[in-house]
Amino acid sequence: MRRTRLLLTGLLLVVSLIIAACGGGPAAPAATPAGSATTPAAPAPAGGTDATLTEFGDLPRHETLIVDILTGRVGSPDDFNNWVGWKWRDRGMQNLANEPLWSVDFATGKIIPGLAEGDPVYNADFTALTIPLRKGVTWHDGQPFTAADVVFTVETLMKHEGFGDNSFFVENVKSVSAVDDHTVAFELNAPNSRFHTRFLDRWGCTWIMPKHIWESVEDPVTFKFNPFIGTGPYKLHSFDPSGFWTIWEKRADWDKSPTGMMYGEPKPKYVIFRYFANEGAKILAQLTHQVDVVNVSSDGLKAVLTQCDSCRAYQLNWPYVVNNDPAQTGITFNTARAPYDNRDVRWALLLAIDIAEYMGIAVDGTGALSPVHIPSLSNYPKDFIQPMLPWLEEFTLDLGNGETFKPFDRNASQRIAEYARSRGYAVPDDPAEQAKLFGYGWYKYAPDVAEKLLVKNGFTKTSDGKWLLPDGTPWKIRCLTGTQLATGMGERNCVAAVQQWKRFGIDAEVYSSEAAASLNATGDFDVSSNWPAQEPWGAGPDLYRVLDYYNSAYVKPVGENTSGHPSRWSSPEMDATIEKLRQTDPTNYQAVVDVGIEGLKIAVREMPGIPTYGYVGFIAWDQTYWTNWPGAENPYTQPYTHWGPFKYMTPFLQPTGTR
Amino acid sequence: MFLKQYLIPRLIQYVLVIFLGITAVFFIPRLLPNDPVLRTIAEMRARGSYLEPGAMDKIIADLQQMYGLEGTLFDQYLAFWGRLFRGDLGVSFFQFPTPVLDLIMTALPWTTGLLLTTTLLSWALGNLIGGFAGYYANRRWSRALDTVAMVVRPLPYYIFAFALLLLFAYLLRWFPVSGGARLGMRPSWTWTFVQSVLWHSVLPALSIFILSAAVWFQTMKLVVQNINAESFVAYAKLSGVREHRIVSRYVIRNALLPQITGLGLSLGLIFSGALITEIVYSYPGLGTLLYNAIVNGDYNLIMGITIFSIVAITTSVLIVDLIYPFFDPRIRYR
Repeated sequence: MRRTRLLLTGLLLVVSLIIAACGGGPAAPAATPAGSATTPAAPAPAGGTDATLTEFGDLPRHETLIVDILTGRVGSPDDFNNWVGWKWRDRGMQNLANEPLWSVDFATGKIIPGLAEGDPVYNADFTALTIPLRKGVTWHDGQPFTAADVVFTVETLMKHEGFGDNSFFVENVKSVSAVDDHTVAFELNAPNSRFHTRFLDRWGCTWIMPKHIWESVEDPVTFKFNPFIGTGPYKLHSFDPSGFWTIWEKRADWDKSPTGMMYGEPKPKYVIFRYFANEGAKILAQLTHQVDVVNVSSDGLKAVLTQCDSCRAYQLNWPYVVNNDPAQTGITFNTARAPYDNRDVRWALLLAIDIAEYMGIAVDGTGALSPVHIPSLSNYPKDFIQPMLPWLEEFTLDLGNGETFKPFDRNASQRIAEYARSRGYAVPDDPAEQAKLFGYGWYKYAPDVAEKLLVKNGFTKTSDGKWLLPDGTPWKIRCLTGTQLATGMGERNCVAAVQQWKRFGIDAEVYSSEAAASLNATGDFDVSSNWPAQEPWGAGPDLYRVLDYYNSAYVKPVGENTSGHPSRWSSPEMDATIEKLRQTDPTNYQAVVDVGIEGLKIAVREMPGIPTYGYVGFIAWDQTYWTNWPGAENPYTQPYTHWGPFKYMTPFLQPTGTR
Repeated sequence: MFLKQYLIPRLIQYVLVIFLGITAVFFIPRLLPNDPVLRTIAEMRARGSYLEPGAMDKIIADLQQMYGLEGTLFDQYLAFWGRLFRGDLGVSFFQFPTPVLDLIMTALPWTTGLLLTTTLLSWALGNLIGGFAGYYANRRWSRALDTVAMVVRPLPYYIFAFALLLLFAYLLRWFPVSGGARLGMRPSWTWTFVQSVLWHSVLPALSIFILSAAVWFQTMKLVVQNINAESFVAYAKLSGVREHRIVSRYVIRNALLPQITGLGLSLGLIFSGALITEIVYSYPGLGTLLYNAIVNGDYNLIMGITIFSIVAITTSVLIVDLIYPFFDPRIRYR
């Protein structure tokens, strides 16, 4: 009995010790480096110790901006060598600490020169170019940024196969040299009017290495580049070895960064990129003011806006979401497989979709439609979609037996507006505002026409309305997609399409797989939710990135890897258009637009993938500590903290003074 | 006799299980349609990198070479054992070129710290209280504890863990919402860091401890109740053996045998991490590391973590087998 008592007492002692150690939380932090005291983020509930008080340690909360990292827990937190593999660059590397030569800002439609001082200058046949560089820029360690850094970067990348950009530069560059300290000259192996876009940051590009650091490195491929040295306005403060947070601190000489030179002093002294393993914790953190910016799901955004008085979304009213992300979602067909190698079949599947219902299922009506293979945002409606409307309205399908059908429906967006109203959402009456929200039209819901197209190609229907393939076997569609069925933009397309096709009489199902990326690459699918076209730049009129996706040079047989071109569709006509675009000066605005429209028309006629709605982003900003976010009413820059131009947002943020 | 009939067969079994387990772990991920090279490229594209389609073949070949995926499967298998015997688990594909061992060693202290403590504490307390509750099954406190255990045990872990988070981190704000230590604080042997770790681990530990202790409590109580009904216990009581001796030497000691086996297995499982705990509390550990490795087809990392797990579990079972004779005289005398 005495032994039992002793044992019990011992156990109680251990538990008591732990509770005693943990009970009050860590002691209040000491004075901050700036000398100001750390203060509570929010009033502590009566009778309790507010854990949020001590969570930020020595960082003064009122000078610290906290955002969540989009791509998750950093797998290699001590490795900043972004030229090799994937290094979670959105944890502050691309968005705060680094400056590219140029950046894309999809909200303003502008290309922002960072380390470059202006546009590249090509020679007449696009075999050479010079790039003017910004003067007065220094690296985080005070060394000047010069043309020698650019030359060194390109030469180093060409020397080592382990670098991701190695093959691009080896293939394209004959020579690179510094004309003077602030001018770089390239000679190319072959004409390439888009060579410079390798340095254009659209969620990543080739960044410049500080020569004075890398030139003494023995093996640049395995070099960790820790501490990270960039030319951006923030420098590395510290990081979590487990990859849960990275902290950046404003440079004392922020005015030596392109951001500082162009826009002035960034306001937050510290920026923390923080990882949350689940959305619930992320939302709780925002409700308790422990994170200022979060990327959440549709339901998560609703929860934040309902519970948090100080929080706002990108749009102040419904649909609240970011609807100008430059990614076009939709459905991709594997055109190397029957019956998806048949244009009529692809069009039949499109016409079997009631887009208003589809949008309701996919994103509750919050996305902007696009009838062509670029999103309805930025300058794209003005440059491409609106000029194409007359053509789209006249575009005709041949149904056989002399019968034709004009599929375009200018009122499709109106149908989504009606859906939204039926859900009780406040939809503006102004057609121009509606077009901004829902796009400029799509295609008709015409199952009868779809039926004619299929019958024309030998498809039959059973007595109970199920479709049979021309060989008489049941038609089954497995829509390949990723695993984020509730939230993923790709996944939501498959979920919606399958429901539409089921109603049409096809045995359709969603095939959700962790291996979706590999299966897409090797062509082991019929239909997938892969983007139906490569995303455009998001700024400028150049659609080279979009159209080159269909280049026949990249088509591989099923079973072989074609990571860039899962639809495996191409045509001599499209190849000729791509070639024409290659020979068009990228700075000749109207010429680029005209060739772009030619390419988009071919894509519409052939429909290798169905473009549906633009990517919908769900972000919430807490305005307790920081305001003047670039919302839809004041889109001075793109709204994401994970995109490169986030650094250009920091000078415009305003501290509220809350402590 | 003990050596030949008991120890050697178990040692052979131990080595064989490890060999087969590691072999299976080598081949199974390679049978999945998830190609790590394509996955890496797709991830880079999905995350905005524009990879020149024309240069794709070269990129794929370079990655295969860097990842050591060249040659036949058998070549790769032999190279793998060669590396393993040198203590080299290779580099992570997705977190290239970080060595797998570095990744595991960063996550392991968090996982073992949390799970070792909670496993041992819940085992000790659950069995102790369960043992007494089983012996004194008719007492009011025993029934009350049984009711609590019955209510707690079926709760889905995720819901229970999240409820704790809501109550203590959001409503009362006593504990942090996420993480293993304070933001900005790097691991070090300082009291401030240890205090921060303890503070952050209270909720994850509590969530595991309560549900796990309830399980040990219930099983121990049932076993004790069964043993209590055995004739040798009745005989002991009738013979006038003192009650504390009956409890400790006759009942609990016998009841502990299956619990010791259970503890051995639980300790081995520590090295697989606690995935849901790590997700709910954003706790750094092996669970999410393994999950991400599977999702990304990161063969080397999957193998690295599972090798730890296989060795840990088989070693635990071996140790339990070896110490069992000390607890169970029947095995000792056989």
